[in-house]
Amino acid sequence: MNKAGTFEYEIRKDFRNNQIVREVDERRLRDLWMSLGIGLVLVMVLLFSAWQHFELLRHGYKLEQMQRDRSAENDINRHLRLEMETLRSPQRIEKLATERLGMVSPGDAEAVVLERVTPPEAPARSVVASR
Amino acid sequence: MVAAVVLVCWVVAIEVRLVVLQVWQHDELSLRAERQQSETQKTPGKRGEIVDRHGRLLAYSVDADTIYAVPTDIDDAVKAADRLCGAFDECDQKDRDQLVERLTRKRRNGSLTSFQYVKRRATPIEAKRIAALEMKGIGFMKESKRFYPNRELAAHLLGYVGTDNAGLHGLEATYDTSVRGREGTMLVQTDARGHAFSRLDRPPTTGGSLELTIDEQLQFIVERELMAGVAAARADGGTAVAMDPHTGEILAMASWPTFNPNQYQGTSDSALRNRAVQDLYEPGSTFKIVTASAALQEGVITPDDLVDTQGGVIKFPGRRPITDMGHDYGVLTFANVIVKSSNVGAIKVGLMVGPERMGLYIRRFGFGKPSSPDFPSESPGIVWNPSKLNDSALASVSMGYQVGVTPLQMAAAASVIANGGTLYEPHVVRATVKGGVRTAVPPKAVRRAILPETAATLTTIMESVVTEGTAKRARLVNYTVAGKTGTADKLVHGRYSSSQQNVSFIGFVPSRNPIMTVIVMVDSPRVGGDTGGAIAAPIFKNIADASLRLLGVTPTINPLPPVLVARRNDSPVTAAAAPMGPAVVTMPASMSDGGGLPDLRGMSARDALRELARLGLTVRMEGAGVVVDQNPAPGSLIEPGGACTLVLNRRPPPRPTGALGDPR
Repeated sequence: MNKAGTFEYEIRKDFRNNQIVREVDERRLRDLWMSLGIGLVLVMVLLFSAWQHFELLRHGYKLEQMQRDRSAENDINRHLRLEMETLRSPQRIEKLATERLGMVSPGDAEAVVLERVTPPEAPARSVVASR
Repeated sequence: MVAAVVLVCWVVAIEVRLVVLQVWQHDELSLRAERQQSETQKTPGKRGEIVDRHGRLLAYSVDADTIYAVPTDIDDAVKAADRLCGAFDECDQKDRDQLVERLTRKRRNGSLTSFQYVKRRATPIEAKRIAALEMKGIGFMKESKRFYPNRELAAHLLGYVGTDNAGLHGLEATYDTSVRGREGTMLVQTDARGHAFSRLDRPPTTGGSLELTIDEQLQFIVERELMAGVAAARADGGTAVAMDPHTGEILAMASWPTFNPNQYQGTSDSALRNRAVQDLYEPGSTFKIVTASAALQEGVITPDDLVDTQGGVIKFPGRRPITDMGHDYGVLTFANVIVKSSNVGAIKVGLMVGPERMGLYIRRFGFGKPSSPDFPSESPGIVWNPSKLNDSALASVSMGYQVGVTPLQMAAAASVIANGGTLYEPHVVRATVKGGVRTAVPPKAVRRAILPETAATLTTIMESVVTEGTAKRARLVNYTVAGKTGTADKLVHGRYSSSQQNVSFIGFVPSRNPIMTVIVMVDSPRVGGDTGGAIAAPIFKNIADASLRLLGVTPTINPLPPVLVARRNDSPVTAAAAPMGPAVVTMPASMSDGGGLPDLRGMSARDALRELARLGLTVRMEGAGVVVDQNPAPGSLIEPGGACTLVLNRRPPPRPTGALGDPR
């Protein structure tokens, strides 16, 4: 759309700003690092807190499971002790001895008592050791 | 504009909903959340153990699974009942119908209930089977269940507990408050899936334990012999008590018929009754030991003074003549009045003692009031007020009629003579254990009833009862026995029956320094005789024979010479006198100190016995001399109550070369 006799020109201005020294704003940089640091710390705290929370939950489950296991083991222990005592009962042993094994009570000739030995009495008040 | 209005409405709606949820319904929803997230469970307290004097279990509690249903979560009650029934050990049509009824039971408003028991305290196998079914609406909870591993053993003494864990009978009821544990509570927090992840709990406490004076083995012997004796006599029942006369400790207490405390429901009252403390009976001639004690202690008579039994008949106004059961003993020494159990002789001596002094000695021997606090159901007995005792009544009392006593009172009275004159309160609890601390119950001497000299004189007379009197069938080969028989007609419908008697024998062994006093009472024997000498004395003999061997009491008649092991210069070891043949020596067990079995080789038999007895072990010996070998080997771990076999030889085992003390 240029009209005849007219011309267009362009003036290019050469800006040379490479000699301008850009000064580092120490304060702002410091603020930046500080902000980043604080942010990082906050994130870490947040992550740590979340980790703690989930660890607590995980340990809660684990502790719960262990307590259940312990309780179950205790129950088994008590049942086994009961079974042991039931198997040890004098009626049962005598029945097995006399009926299955054909044993008889010893007579005066077979059983000789040398000496009566009695274990010492426990003191009137004592602590019972658990097995 | 429209969009803005929609946005505002949306925001307002959300805000309103938030306000409603978080403010308006805050309390209700918080409560619901708490209910969903946390659950408070009650954990039952365990009852403490009951053990015998050697720590062997007599009563024990274990947790059992109780199965419950949430009927609202069950879709088909009939089908569920069928599946449950199929998993139970026993379930008939009636049980099935009851289960369906429980699962379909409705509240007043017509809705289903939210909790019903399916089976309380199921067996572990049943619980496992039902858990494997993985049924919706079926849950499990723990409840404590009491077990008696020895079943009928000492059942009357121990008693039993009800479904709510409360003691209902025997020691379980007497010591309920100290034995019963405290219920615990547990707050369990659960996640959205219902998994528990934390708990805050107040744990249930286990109740205190009781250590009894009972010896399990001795109790078994007493029950076995009593049952055999009662069965042989085809009697209605019987009771036997073994007691330590020096402390009042009850070593065994048995009644027949008996019951299984694990399944006490449906047991007859007769079987539940502890005859040793609940049955009042007229002791008959065994009571003559009280008459004799009073007469000797008061110096009314001496053992050698003569008593005319006047043809075996004595008369009192207004009653039938009292006889010596057809015997005419003529003139007897007072000792022989007791030995032959002359009613007429005892009456004449009783009349010489007089009502006041007789009443005094009856009280001194502990009659007329309960003898032991361990048995709240014990009958105090019936005794006369001395001021109301006329000659006729005094005559009856002198020979053991018109007084009501319990077998336990009678055992305590005989123990007075056995221990030299002191009345001890019978007791069955030896110690209580609470919080790991064992507190012993000391023996309680009530009073001195007679002097030791009087007790010694009576012991001599009672020895004669066994050797030459009415209780010859109580005689033991290796031990001296002192005792007295008793036979009393039973009062049936207010009249003395000629066909039903209470027959008894009371004695102590060995008669000098006795280990135990035993009373045996049999109710209405029908076969083998109707006297204490014929029925009760043999039972006593069997009990005493086995018990003395169990307790390891050395014979008092022709005892073996002491075991001596001498070392001479020329021969290493020579047994001067040693046990002959294979020997079995049993000793009361005690707790081991936890160490291994010591090296007993080279020790004398007696030293080895002492050492093993200290560890609570049973010893079997083979051979004679010193210990040359042992099984288990030294250092082995062995439980208290276990057996150790010792091989004895007159020559010691060869010592390894270079061993310590080797002379080479």
